[in-house]
Amino acid sequence: MNVTSEKVDTFKLSLLSFCVLVFGIFALMIVIYLTASVPIFQKEDIQIYTTNVWKAVEDNPDEEFYGVLAAIYGSVYTSVLAVLVALPLSIGFAVFVIDYAPQKIREPLIVATDIMAGLPTIIYGVWGAFVLVPVLRDYVMRPLYEHFSFIPLFSFEPAGGYSFLAAGVLLGIMVTPFASSIIREAYRMVPFTYREAAFSLGATRYEATKILLGYIKPAIVAGILLAFGRAVGETVAVSLVVGNAFNIHPSLFAPGYTISSLIANQFGNAFIYGYMVSALFAAGFFLFVIGLAVNVGGLIILRRYAHAQRG
Amino acid sequence: MRRLFVLTTLILLAAVFAGCTQTQKPETQPEKTVIVGSGATFPQPQLEKWIDVYTKRNPKVQIEYTGKGSGGGQNDFKQGLVDFACSDPPLSESLWNELKKRGQPLQFPIIVGAVVVVYHIPGVENLKLDGETLAKIFMGEIEYWDNFAIKQLNPEANLPHERILVVHRSDSSGTTKIFTTYLSLVSDEWAEKVGAGKTVDWPVDKLGRGVGGKGNQGVATAVKQNPYSIGYVELSYALKENFPMVALKNKAGNFVTANEETIKFAVSMVSLSIPSPREGCKEDLKALLNAAGEKSYPIVAFSHMVIWEKYENEAKEKAIKDFVKWILTEGQKSENIVQGYVGLPEDVTSKLLAEI
Repeated sequence: MNVTSEKVDTFKLSLLSFCVLVFGIFALMIVIYLTASVPIFQKEDIQIYTTNVWKAVEDNPDEEFYGVLAAIYGSVYTSVLAVLVALPLSIGFAVFVIDYAPQKIREPLIVATDIMAGLPTIIYGVWGAFVLVPVLRDYVMRPLYEHFSFIPLFSFEPAGGYSFLAAGVLLGIMVTPFASSIIREAYRMVPFTYREAAFSLGATRYEATKILLGYIKPAIVAGILLAFGRAVGETVAVSLVVGNAFNIHPSLFAPGYTISSLIANQFGNAFIYGYMVSALFAAGFFLFVIGLAVNVGGLIILRRYAHAQRG
Repeated sequence: MRRLFVLTTLILLAAVFAGCTQTQKPETQPEKTVIVGSGATFPQPQLEKWIDVYTKRNPKVQIEYTGKGSGGGQNDFKQGLVDFACSDPPLSESLWNELKKRGQPLQFPIIVGAVVVVYHIPGVENLKLDGETLAKIFMGEIEYWDNFAIKQLNPEANLPHERILVVHRSDSSGTTKIFTTYLSLVSDEWAEKVGAGKTVDWPVDKLGRGVGGKGNQGVATAVKQNPYSIGYVELSYALKENFPMVALKNKAGNFVTANEETIKFAVSMVSLSIPSPREGCKEDLKALLNAAGEKSYPIVAFSHMVIWEKYENEAKEKAIKDFVKWILTEGQKSENIVQGYVGLPEDVTSKLLAEI
């Protein structure tokens, strides 16, 4: 008796160290990001997040001024677009693979999406820049602008095709495999009796699918969270299609910036300047904030769902 | 079972360590002097060619160069991680003074670079622009290609009524610094509103008509893919991609495109203003830009190398100095210059050699 309890304790302790390690690294990262961004907060206050300026001056740190509002705007804009693109794709794909795909092609389909998930992002980026951007520009942006430019979303004359839309669509395609695998596995787990019950009540295939998807809402929310998280953090691929321009515009067709691509672009020579490194850390810190906000939002939705289930 | 596992691990480890000792030996046997450098990517292809030719003749010297950007090289040199650094813009005075506390640094040009303006307008060749108009395009004040100011400079060209897409660097770079310094020189409005630097706040971005590409390659790709765009790259990239280049109006009022003749012409016009390598930071980027002279190309800049006057290791010092001397003599001969680069005029190299 005594021996077993001791054994359990050491096992517990050894696990605890892993937990501490994981959490400690995360906490340390936040601390580093915060302390590294202190200089810019002291210099500019909250204006680093509320203005759209990128004024780097060598040898005269007093004149430097950084405001990453455009990058924050672009990060949120493109990631929301990505989720909007990825959600129907991944749900549709999951339902098809589980319910309708013949046994022979089911596994190849799943393997294909796994490969998609594991591809280096630069591959998506190059494809995006050479194929997606010109196609979107000539067959989507130009016609929409010509006929519907009175709608604010379409109000910008597409200059080169590098735009929020291009970044959003590319990100949507990139994150689909992640969202889809979560949703697919949850959908596969729905008990067969539920399916039978739905059909026995005379539901059509569409109606039955709708009911079953209602059961896996938490998985869909988790899929969205993961997709958003991946999209917000994507760097290389976005940088190749978003335009890298400090621009805030409501239109889908305007070029913009994202926090991740800003850091990737500017970090190389940032230490030449007095405050740029700090500004980039502050921008990175905001990604933590966005991530936190999105996850808390997801938790609230899940809690409501659980509450509704019980009630 | 467990014993077997331990045994195999031991055997594997033994093999690994044996491998280590084996690979270490041959490296230390021949007494090679290893010189390490890092910095600008612009002179990298040229530097690699020099290293290749030089080390073939001097097999006892091994030279390694990593291209990571001028700023990165400056930082490595400051930290003492490398023996020499390459930087497109001359070192700043503050960095120079910091280095001087540790020893005498020497900075000297090794090759000439030119920034060229490239464009993509189907059906339009031989576009001509002056500094003022160029600045207005890059500020976003000129929106369409058939703007009056552009038409006036190109009366015979068939300019379309299409929006101009301005492509600039998204990373901080010496190319941007040279280009924006030139624009500040030729346009007071630019100097006042935007200024010069490795990265600037592009007003055209905020109009949604500017995009950034990473590196010369990124800008080149964006210009190539987007009709009605304009951008700036190093000359060698423009040649590589076969871009049409804008003929720029120089100080003498002539429209010139960048080539070996016009670039060398500009450099020899200003060779007197090149400071001694011991006072490298005194070099003024502006002196080379918009140079006087009939044939001078206006956006020309040096790419520099920075070394120490004294090294702790005597063999290393000798090897570095010999390499530098070789670059400034043999290295500048046309058979050792990579296509797209322009060597230093002889009056410049002889002046530098006398002082190193």
